[in-house]
Amino acid sequence: MKIANWVPWLIVAAALSAVQAAPQEPAVTWSRQIAPLVYNNCTTCHHPGGAGPFSLLAYEDARRWGSQMATVTASRYMPPWLPEHGYGDFEDERRLTNDEIALIAKWVQTGMAQGDPSASPAAPTYHETWQYGTPDLILTVQQPYALAASGTDVFRNFVLPYPLKQRHYIRAMEIRPGAPQIVHHANILIDRTASFRRAHPAEWKAGVPGMELEVDTGNEFDPDSNFLFWKPDTPVLIEPEGMPWRLDPGSDLILNMHLKPSGKPELAAAQIGLYFTDQPPTKKPMLLQLEHDDALDIPPGARNFVVEDSLRLPVDVEVLGIYPHAHYLGKRLEAWATLPDQQKKSLILIPNWDIDRQSVYRYRNPVFLPKGSVVHMRYLYDNSSANPHNPHAPPVRVKAGNRSEDEMAHLWLQVLPVNTPSKGPDPRLLLEEAWMRNWLSKDPNDIIPLYNLASALAGQGKYQDAIVAYRHALALHPGDERTLNELGAALENSGDWQQAQKVFKQDVASHPETCNARFNLARSDLKHDQASAAQEQFRAMLAQCPADAAVHSGLGVALESDGQVEAAEAEFHAALKIDPQDFTALQNLGNLALQANQPRQAAEFLEVAVKERPTDADAHQQLAEAYGLSGRIDDAMNQLHQAIALSPDNPDLHSLLSQALAGTGQLEQAIVERKAALRLRTNDADDWNNLGVLEAKAGRIAEAREDFHHALQLVPDHAQARANLQRLPPS
Amino acid sequence: MTVIIRAWLLAFTTLAVDLGGRPITQLAPPGTRALILFFAASDCPISNRYVPEIRRLTRQFEPLGVRVWFVYPNPSDDAKTVRAHDAEFAIDANTALDTNQSLVHMAHVTVTPEAAVFVPQGSQLREVYRGRIDDRYIDLGTERPQATRHDLEEAIRAVLAGKQVPQPGGPPTGCSIVTLQP
Repeated sequence: MKIANWVPWLIVAAALSAVQAAPQEPAVTWSRQIAPLVYNNCTTCHHPGGAGPFSLLAYEDARRWGSQMATVTASRYMPPWLPEHGYGDFEDERRLTNDEIALIAKWVQTGMAQGDPSASPAAPTYHETWQYGTPDLILTVQQPYALAASGTDVFRNFVLPYPLKQRHYIRAMEIRPGAPQIVHHANILIDRTASFRRAHPAEWKAGVPGMELEVDTGNEFDPDSNFLFWKPDTPVLIEPEGMPWRLDPGSDLILNMHLKPSGKPELAAAQIGLYFTDQPPTKKPMLLQLEHDDALDIPPGARNFVVEDSLRLPVDVEVLGIYPHAHYLGKRLEAWATLPDQQKKSLILIPNWDIDRQSVYRYRNPVFLPKGSVVHMRYLYDNSSANPHNPHAPPVRVKAGNRSEDEMAHLWLQVLPVNTPSKGPDPRLLLEEAWMRNWLSKDPNDIIPLYNLASALAGQGKYQDAIVAYRHALALHPGDERTLNELGAALENSGDWQQAQKVFKQDVASHPETCNARFNLARSDLKHDQASAAQEQFRAMLAQCPADAAVHSGLGVALESDGQVEAAEAEFHAALKIDPQDFTALQNLGNLALQANQPRQAAEFLEVAVKERPTDADAHQQLAEAYGLSGRIDDAMNQLHQAIALSPDNPDLHSLLSQALAGTGQLEQAIVERKAALRLRTNDADDWNNLGVLEAKAGRIAEAREDFHHALQLVPDHAQARANLQRLPPS
Repeated sequence: MTVIIRAWLLAFTTLAVDLGGRPITQLAPPGTRALILFFAASDCPISNRYVPEIRRLTRQFEPLGVRVWFVYPNPSDDAKTVRAHDAEFAIDANTALDTNQSLVHMAHVTVTPEAAVFVPQGSQLREVYRGRIDDRYIDLGTERPQATRHDLEEAIRAVLAGKQVPQPGGPPTGCSIVTLQP
């Protein structure tokens, strides 16, 4: 009996101990599940001093905001992420899974327990100043902007001139908005001609209102390459390896900011931190646009107004990033590509557009689109009163424009041309041509695409087509200064330099204030042995644009070809004072130093020149000569190899390399290069003589004899060849 | 809406305290035609964005017998925090710390920002409006560029005109009021 009674007691005891051993913690706690989730997804903004309105670093913070966290994650308002999952695979996809959202909800419902604090991961740390370390250069807006306590959102453009006298490549950029909680996002534009600042002389320091802006990209083909888009959760923009962007003296950065009043007056003094690299880009992406602003004519009440555009790609590309853009009426934004085999590849889908949360999206892996693919954009707009973002109540007809209450239909892609043939035009010119032709198909008389198309054609060496396009643009905009100038340049390049000079003169006569046509006229004069005419033009320019390095170096060339070496040198130095990287001045000073038998000094100039224009074979060759004369044979050979890679059909380069190889005892290699030179230039007696010398040294007497005979056949009184022949041992 | 608070009850209950910690015994002094409680939180961005609007309404309607209070119901909003916040946002209106959330219960509000309008009737306060200030925020994450309907202002005008008070056109949007821990 007693024994029997023991059994239930034991069972009860065992059961009790099981209950006591079970964790007291609820299933979901801050420490185990919520903190890791919050640290991964929320605290880049939600930390003290961050862009989020409150911190979520500590348990107490999260508890304070728990109910909000449940609401805004359930509605997917937070974390901010517009693209639909599965339509493009984006880096930094800031999106919670359904399970994670359910976990937050459960945590809130069950009382927001902390759990065991020791089980929580360490909270991330955020720097109070620059997240990426001290920048190499900090630019600050000229005047802090005073944002009113209330009112509608503000879109404002601040100009930050680049103050340095040297070019720099930028590998990373960080923006400190000054008052982080009022800045929704910011876009940075590079204004390479300071055109925006010149267009707003009285306002640029305080900022110019406007959601969009246009800048003049200048005369050279230099397309934008990188998205410089900033939003609070990505304070640092780090460019991929090999893709830094460039800043030149005289350029401006324009900070286009979207500011949201906070309820109290705010003073925002934005700063841009730039991080340099010595390495110029090895990959050249390009920003490509689809748009159809002309189709934007949205009647009031329209709920599904469609705007579309498409663009056929002329080359293989990798799409690196995408930036869809509309204003407040945008509703559903979609982009995709149709591949040549008709397969559809989604690029992005934003089912509920919200301008406040716009962003650039970068693909986790580049999206390959073969040549012939067609990129499409299809945007829907809602101009009814059911659209809460509608800036007009009641709705009114809305067209395209730069103000926030106007609309836009833009899609930007960052593409990297791939599988590019080694010879042939820059593939970005083909993309530019396709883009401009697409633009013209929508608006045939727009001067911008007409001009850009002509430039793209000229850049590809299609001068006759370019001339037709420039003339077309001039027919629509007679006397346009820049178009005339570029027409002149295309004519000059096509070989019709007399006609070119006529056009330049027409441009100079009708626009005496501008220097472009005068500059080209002067260069044409120089090229066609009219040095004194060139001098006259350059001097006229100096009176008008004295701070232009290219004018000084151009005048230098004119003086040099006129035999005025000292005056020329002075002009080259004047050019370098303005722009230490002026290629013409560097190269000519290097050459003059070579001629004056100062190879070390020559090397100093030419080293900078080569860095400035690494694709110039002549500069590499001259630097090789400077090194060779300074006894730096290995460096010289290195430069010659680079020059040969750029210009493999230049016999002089092979000849020089052969000489250098022979000097370092690499006889067989020297013979190979000498023969390469002779393949390109069979009738050079000196080369045959030199080959003979190499063959003789290598012990190949018969070959050497033949070579000397070859030289003498070409030049019967070639003294060295004759002497060398006599020196050979008898056969 | 027919919530009626008996004024004698107010006199014997500590409804809230001022920034000096003194109990507020009189929310609506004699002659008040409407009492507005604006429930605010110093750390709630939407609440803060409404400060200028409430200050505007205060300036506009106070001379007409409208009494406006900034009421802070969250436990983290202690006197020091609120004093700093009021200074930062240039709030010079009456400020109440609703330390035991009596005013929250009296007005039946749930979020900041949210407003309640009471009309004194004899010894009683009758709540005639409770809800959003205007329709700028439709939901967390859905915001109009500007308000198209000023619900609170319309309610005040109706009270002053002796008309039927229009009710809010939508729910209030903002930050939940933090529940007091027992």
